[in-house]
Amino acid sequence: MEERELISRVLAGDPSAERALYDAHVDRVFRLAYRMAGDMDRAQDYTQETFIRAFSRLQTFRGDASLSTWLGSIAISVTLNGLRKVRRQNEREVGLDDFTPAGQTRREAEPDLKTRLNQAIDDLPEGYRAVFVMHDVEGYTHEEIGASLGVHPGTSKAQLFRARARLREALADFAKD
Amino acid sequence: MMDDRFDDLLRDSAPEYNDPPETPREELWQRIVAAREAERAASKEKTEGADGERSHILPFRRLGRVRPGRPLTWAAGIAAVLALGIGLGRMSVKQPASVAISAPVPSSSAPAPRATGAAYRVATTEHLSQSEAFLTLFRTSVRGKEGNERLASATARQLLATNRLLLDSPAAADARTRLLLQDLELVLAEIAQLSPQPKSRDLQLITEGLEQGGVLSRLRTAVPAGTSATQGAL
Repeated sequence: MEERELISRVLAGDPSAERALYDAHVDRVFRLAYRMAGDMDRAQDYTQETFIRAFSRLQTFRGDASLSTWLGSIAISVTLNGLRKVRRQNEREVGLDDFTPAGQTRREAEPDLKTRLNQAIDDLPEGYRAVFVMHDVEGYTHEEIGASLGVHPGTSKAQLFRARARLREALADFAKD
Repeated sequence: MMDDRFDDLLRDSAPEYNDPPETPREELWQRIVAAREAERAASKEKTEGADGERSHILPFRRLGRVRPGRPLTWAAGIAAVLALGIGLGRMSVKQPASVAISAPVPSSSAPAPRATGAAYRVATTEHLSQSEAFLTLFRTSVRGKEGNERLASATARQLLATNRLLLDSPAAADARTRLLLQDLELVLAEIAQLSPQPKSRDLQLITEGLEQGGVLSRLRTAVPAGTSATQGAL
């Protein structure tokens, strides 16, 4: 079934079309949410919210981009907002036990390069991490990322360049080993 | 670390970052169906009948009908910002700023490169000034819970278009300006994508993002004090 026809049927209230749309796109949405959240419960929450919003706003989809890109823009927006909320809650809950004395590095707790890389990706600023995950991990094009994040593809390229530079910087000490 | 080693590491290891398990399709679908049914039931209770249905389709009108006496803070604010921008543009440049940005056409009395550079600077300063005014107004409105997000979204889209033109122009040759324009683009894009009736937490997250990224303070630093800064620049 063609995308346009599928959308028309969903808008007409056809439940099987809703399910078909969901089946066609859920993997990509869930993968992105999980990559960004790193947590099953949150990834499910963000995926659920993405499809609820998508179904309620489908009449506003103009077809300028593909449905997949449009869903991606909702997914990344929902996920980033959700993660910001989690971060705010975590910041409030940080206790004295979590305090790391100055001068004590985290290196000793990090066994290998891959773990360190994952940590460095986690530590990237939100915008950089989103672009890095979408491009280098999930294989989105800069055009898709630009459309999803509502930015120019050139901005996406610049953000990716900076993200990689940050990662290179964060892992620089391993080069000496 | 050597660049090629680092690239190899990224290529090999990045796909393992938060490697997702299989999608729990059925479980998720059941949750989505249940949530949508609950939403529909709540919406039905809230709107009570056909008038409610109509107002759901036209939230902007409903807003005006529910609170008819409400001051049009947003409209007045945006009109003032646009008027300021148009006024500054007429006073400071002989050609429309957009023409100067997209295609400076040489002629017999063509401006020297220095003047063209000044035109970009004027256009950039005007844009940053308008963006700063808009974002300040947006933040104030969100705090006062009096915003008209549809209008804010429309204004953000206009500013976003100018922002993209400037990013693609020599105005972005300066690294600091480019960085500011790129960060501004992300904020404007977030506001432009707001739904007509956004959740208050979405609005709050945008304003928090504004403050955490220091976009407003950087805009204020980038915009010379007083509007006279843009006058006579050419």
